[in-house]
Amino acid sequence: MFTQSKTRVFHVLAAFGFSLLSNSALGAGADQTQTLLTFNRHVRPILSENCFSCHGLDAKKRKADLRLDTPEGAYTALEGAFPIRPGNPAQSSVWKRIQSVDPDEQMPPPDSHKKLTLAQKEIIRGWIEQGAPYEKHWAFEPIALPRVPVQPTGEKKQDSAIDAFIAHQRVKAGFVKAPEADRATLIRRVAFTLTGLPPTPSALEAFLTDKSTEAYESMVDGYLGTLQFGEEMARHWLDVARYADTHGLHLDNERETWAYRDWVVNAFNQNLSFDQFTIEQIAGDLLPNATLGQITATGFSRCNVTTGEGGAISEEYRHLYAVDRTATVMQAWTGLTAGCAQCHDHKYDPLSTKEFYSLYAFFFSAADPPMDGNISATEPYLKRPSQTQSEALTKAKTAEIEALRQLAEAAGKLDYKEPDLETGGVPLPGTQVVFDDNVPLACEIRNTTRNPSVWITDPPFGAHSGRRVLRQLSGQFTEDILQAGAVPLTVPENGECSFWVRLDPQSPPRGLSVQIQGRKAYWGERAYTDGAKAQAGDKDLGLGQLPPPGVWTQLSFKLEQLELKPGSRIETFAVQQNGGIVFWDKCTITGRLSPKTDPLVSMQQWWGAFTKKAKADETDLPANILKSLLAGPDKADSTAKKEVQDYYLGRISATVPVEILKLRAAWLAAKVERASVSESVQGTLVFRDLSTPMDTFVAMRGQYDKHGDSVEPGVPRVFPVLKKERHEGRATRLDFARWLVAPENPLTARVAVNRFWQQIFGVGLVKTSHDFGSQGDPPSHPELLDWLAATFRDSGWNVKALIRVMVTSEAFRQSSALSPEMRERDPENRMLARGPRLRLDAEQIRDNVLFVSGLLDKEMGGRGSMPYQPPNIWEPVGYANSNTRYYLQEHGASLHRRSLYCFLKRTAPPPFMSTFDAPSREQSCVRRERTNTPMQALQLLNDVQHFEAARALAERVQQEGGSSENARIQWLFQVVLARTPDERETVLLRQALQKQRELYRNSPQDAALVVNAGEAQPKKSAPSPESAAWTLLANLVLNLDETVNRN
Amino acid sequence: MDPLVEWTNLQTRRQFFHHSGIRLGGLGLASVLGHNALGAPTSSARMNPPLPDLPHFAPKAKAVIYLHMNGGPSQLDTWDYKPHLADWYDKDLPPSVQGGQRLTGMTSKQTRFPVAPSLFEFSRYGQCGRWASELVKHTALHSDDIALVKTVHTNAINHDPACTFVMTGREVPGYASLGSWLSYGLGSESDNLPAFVVLTPTWKSTGAAQALFTRMWSSGFLPGRFNGVALRSSGDPVLYIQNPDGVSTASRRSMLDTLAEMNTHRFQTMGDPDIQNRISQYEMAFRMQTSVPELVDLSGETAATLESYGQDVSKQGTFASSAIMARRLVERGVRVVQILHRGWDQHGNLPSEIRLQCQDTDQAIGALLADLKQRGLFESTLVVWGGEFGRTVYSQGTLTKTNYGRDHHPRNFCMWMAGAGVKGGAVLGESDDFSYNIASDPVHLNDLNATILHLCGIDHERLSVKFQGLDARLTGVEKQKVVSQILS
Repeated sequence: MFTQSKTRVFHVLAAFGFSLLSNSALGAGADQTQTLLTFNRHVRPILSENCFSCHGLDAKKRKADLRLDTPEGAYTALEGAFPIRPGNPAQSSVWKRIQSVDPDEQMPPPDSHKKLTLAQKEIIRGWIEQGAPYEKHWAFEPIALPRVPVQPTGEKKQDSAIDAFIAHQRVKAGFVKAPEADRATLIRRVAFTLTGLPPTPSALEAFLTDKSTEAYESMVDGYLGTLQFGEEMARHWLDVARYADTHGLHLDNERETWAYRDWVVNAFNQNLSFDQFTIEQIAGDLLPNATLGQITATGFSRCNVTTGEGGAISEEYRHLYAVDRTATVMQAWTGLTAGCAQCHDHKYDPLSTKEFYSLYAFFFSAADPPMDGNISATEPYLKRPSQTQSEALTKAKTAEIEALRQLAEAAGKLDYKEPDLETGGVPLPGTQVVFDDNVPLACEIRNTTRNPSVWITDPPFGAHSGRRVLRQLSGQFTEDILQAGAVPLTVPENGECSFWVRLDPQSPPRGLSVQIQGRKAYWGERAYTDGAKAQAGDKDLGLGQLPPPGVWTQLSFKLEQLELKPGSRIETFAVQQNGGIVFWDKCTITGRLSPKTDPLVSMQQWWGAFTKKAKADETDLPANILKSLLAGPDKADSTAKKEVQDYYLGRISATVPVEILKLRAAWLAAKVERASVSESVQGTLVFRDLSTPMDTFVAMRGQYDKHGDSVEPGVPRVFPVLKKERHEGRATRLDFARWLVAPENPLTARVAVNRFWQQIFGVGLVKTSHDFGSQGDPPSHPELLDWLAATFRDSGWNVKALIRVMVTSEAFRQSSALSPEMRERDPENRMLARGPRLRLDAEQIRDNVLFVSGLLDKEMGGRGSMPYQPPNIWEPVGYANSNTRYYLQEHGASLHRRSLYCFLKRTAPPPFMSTFDAPSREQSCVRRERTNTPMQALQLLNDVQHFEAARALAERVQQEGGSSENARIQWLFQVVLARTPDERETVLLRQALQKQRELYRNSPQDAALVVNAGEAQPKKSAPSPESAAWTLLANLVLNLDETVNRN
Repeated sequence: MDPLVEWTNLQTRRQFFHHSGIRLGGLGLASVLGHNALGAPTSSARMNPPLPDLPHFAPKAKAVIYLHMNGGPSQLDTWDYKPHLADWYDKDLPPSVQGGQRLTGMTSKQTRFPVAPSLFEFSRYGQCGRWASELVKHTALHSDDIALVKTVHTNAINHDPACTFVMTGREVPGYASLGSWLSYGLGSESDNLPAFVVLTPTWKSTGAAQALFTRMWSSGFLPGRFNGVALRSSGDPVLYIQNPDGVSTASRRSMLDTLAEMNTHRFQTMGDPDIQNRISQYEMAFRMQTSVPELVDLSGETAATLESYGQDVSKQGTFASSAIMARRLVERGVRVVQILHRGWDQHGNLPSEIRLQCQDTDQAIGALLADLKQRGLFESTLVVWGGEFGRTVYSQGTLTKTNYGRDHHPRNFCMWMAGAGVKGGAVLGESDDFSYNIASDPVHLNDLNATILHLCGIDHERLSVKFQGLDARLTGVEKQKVVSQILS
């Protein structure tokens, strides 16, 4: 049936021209004058998809000992038959079996559910006929700088190499390029591409009136120079890096690693070269004299999800983290789906399991514990003091040491005499401080969040006492539990507990309480942890309403109300809050204490009261003192006794001379100062190796406890060799990072430019930007890809220059209007015969409405903020005492920060992100989908974030948009879409406005609700019905398809 | 959806806009799309049709209701009856039975592994005479309609990976959930409601409840529109379904009419079919604003029906109200309904805590089965009940005559199915005398998922998408088999 006629091959190919066009990325399909079939473009995708899983690299799964991924395998006779006989399909068993209809013979076998199309069969046959030449996979070939093609006749000279390459292919395929888009469309397209925000009216005006020939380029350069450039670029990279603000598994508690996010923003703004960008993220810690920034960058490899689940097995998670880190690095830089090889040799690409584990060995000896402890600062955690903070800290430490020295010296000169308990045993009034600027010495303070308690120094509203206050913040129950330390608390006679609180006016709590020895006194609503609900006692003491928010108020109660016995010790003292934000200050217990039981008066009492729970602390409770205290007075020799006595007199006793009290106060103040400076320094998770590397093994079939061969760090054989900096010893992560960006590495530059291309044009030149292996799509414009890659690499990996070259190309500047013919022939715009038109990404959609409404807060960096979020996003899923179970919305400027800076909880991401296809960041993502759903429509119409923006935009229209209705509609369009409405649009909008006016005039109560939407302060503008009508009109314009697209 | 299919679907709308002049409105558009009065679309015009080659064969089930008891319900106290364990009270589990199975870090350091027989009463139910505990008696009354598998096993021993596995077939995040696969493959029967709806009701146990993860209903590597949509237990039943305060339906409708006209006008310049798609999504959003309140409004239910689900049924967000909502959703053409009920992780105080959990769920599940049958939906609806793993026969913590706890046990546990294509009264698999190992007929969770797909007309080996260079499937890379023994 199939005779040896070349023309027939071409005939069939032409018949399948369209499918070839889309399957093999519009390569040679339509060009019938050069019909040589090439292995990489035509044949490999077919073999890879249909044959390699049984006849490829994976030796374990290989059937019949046949390999079709190498010429050696394919040309060698097996049992007398040649799988492929170059030039002779009839003698090739591959071809015979492909054609066979006998289920026992047929390939691929029926049970594989794979099937070759007629065109695919013809390609195989034609290729064998042409001699079955093999090629190395294109992406593994070295990157050479291709010659820029000569201009096709009849088209204007191309300014950029990009356009020359595109034109070359486009003309061959018979497409005509689109005209340049108008300036208004262009500036909006560029602004969103480079900053994620629309242009301002003044930028628009400047561009529209710029008559110079370089107008477009200077507009682009302007945006490349803004700080928002780094934010937009970072956003894409953070998907790849899987950055988020929680650990991701089980409790999914908060993680403090936003300094890494800010590092990425800054790196793009500084135009850090991509090779350095690479090296610092993978091995910044190993660079000589690594800076804080370089170490911060290693946070890349701390962004994976981690667990602290009780009962989880550490070895298993150490393995899983190393797999994730390896697979992510390989995915991000080499575009390979290396993760496949964790269980078996890669079926399609030359990556064996052992090679995967050699890569894994670079990350297996990570210093971070497999169990993250559910805290935000899981080690290795880098404190990042600024210059000023470093200096202040040194100064504060010196001052503290000096103050303590003076105190100790003075105390050492005193003698101590036990009070006469017979005659001096009369109870005396006194005050015990539970906490004030700090907790008492060596007092342990625990917190529901598992993180350290939060002290605020010099709050803007002023502390009630001293400088510091304790802050509690939670969507639900939280408590700080003090465990008695060096200064025991005792229940006095007629004892009273008092403390000061200030409830946050914007987020007042529902209740607060103090719990002593398990007994609770509460104000407002009583609260418990979920777990304690069952044991909730009836003996709790309700003391009425909460105090008013916004002012310091003293609350107190008698200890006897909690049935606490005078003379008994208080081991645990907890301050608790139920939802909202509470500041606590100076908490004391007053009452009359008999010296017989008062440890502040009697050293003997104090020594005796010492509990085993106290922990040693360098400054608060030195180990030698603690040892003597725990051993008891009887065991202490005279030296020990003297040490304890000096400690007691200096730091504890209330009956010392005023001079000592002053020195003690000075020391405590110095301690507070040091703590304040120290706490103000923020930190971030960083990557580091254990000092001694762990032995690393192949995990058989991906199972952590099934050790195979032992492996050393190394790279797969198919790639250029890895050069070690030091001759001896193992290859390091730094060697590995440098290997990734070595000029001879065939993948890194291609993968990087392709991802930037995807970011700018919507689809990569290699559509499967996540897979450059043989299962991925070949590039639509291979020479262009290589030209970009080589140029990028040889330019010193200059990112801004690369972006500029792409954005200033004619290809990018074309109109994106789509004719029915083009829609049919090239729906995905792979030939680039029109400009890109893309729905905005999740962050851009939100940032856009904030920007045009004037609400956007441009503050950069810092901890993720918590804007509006509907109730019950975190709550129904969060683990009982996860510190991210209850969402506590912030207020003021935090509501309107860029989406990049919004808190991202992985197991329940914010709807404004997930509804618009943003990933949950549980694993690396190099390409987002763009879907179109009714949930998106509902969100854009009704979410308070969008409706408040519409309201604020309506206020702007009325204040800034001129006085006539036409002028206002023009202004609104101009601000949102950077263009003027045409006649029909103006008419439609005016009719819509009129209709809304009528509705709201008849319903002023509705109008009043509309003009107060959201928390942003309404600006006084027109009467409510008029403003409400404009709000609906703004809501309409913000929902236009054109608004949510980059056109 | 395949862009081509999407495009074909849009033709109707395009012609409408071009030829009939512009007068959009919910009704106008609905009639163009070929909706009947109840909003059920004719199949040719469905907004979310199935993939071109699906179903692979005639499906038994049109819809799936999946009841997931999150935390790991004890098989020993519900469906796996082991009467002779009474003789083993407080004796150590024989090492030969324990067999060196891996234990969680929570009990691996226990010095003893005392056997804790169930405190609950077991009786026989139905013609088939199935043993079941008093805790699940309402469900057990339907034993003749239920196929029970006593030997389900899974890989993971901790919650996070096990929950991820039961729903996505993988222990690590990033894969598509069962419901997402089904809506991806089979599309939606409804143009007014999402194809895949998730409910996360309240629960009664008092201990710290294990978490859920949105990845359990996430589309993973599939496009985001196949995510499960949460029907929320308080506030708006569907996110942003309510107009903002002060925006009336009339105001919204008027605004949407202009929006559609503006977008159509824009389409005439740009020619991008995505614009038309957006227009239809806004119309569906508007229809949902009507269909969702109607969905959650129980006033049309008879007193007898409501009563059958128990008194919590009218309390929004309870399991009982979720159960009746599941029926209402299926009735309206929703493809997959998942109820994820928390609070089943009984390491301690198991007897009192599991009793609370069953009080929360059992009556409503029994009522749901009866309700589906009565309305003729049972034959076309598959109901699945299970958890991410089972629990140990030995007590975690102190064992007393009235109290015990149980640790995680992935090696064997019980799940059941009922409804479309399921052989009622069937039982598959036996555990050993201690419900600690599988004695016969192991069924891996992936086998069970393959079976669910099968009942929906899907060959699980042929429903795959490329992800990380592999043909990713719900059921993983290993060979899985449909559990034909429980199929009718």
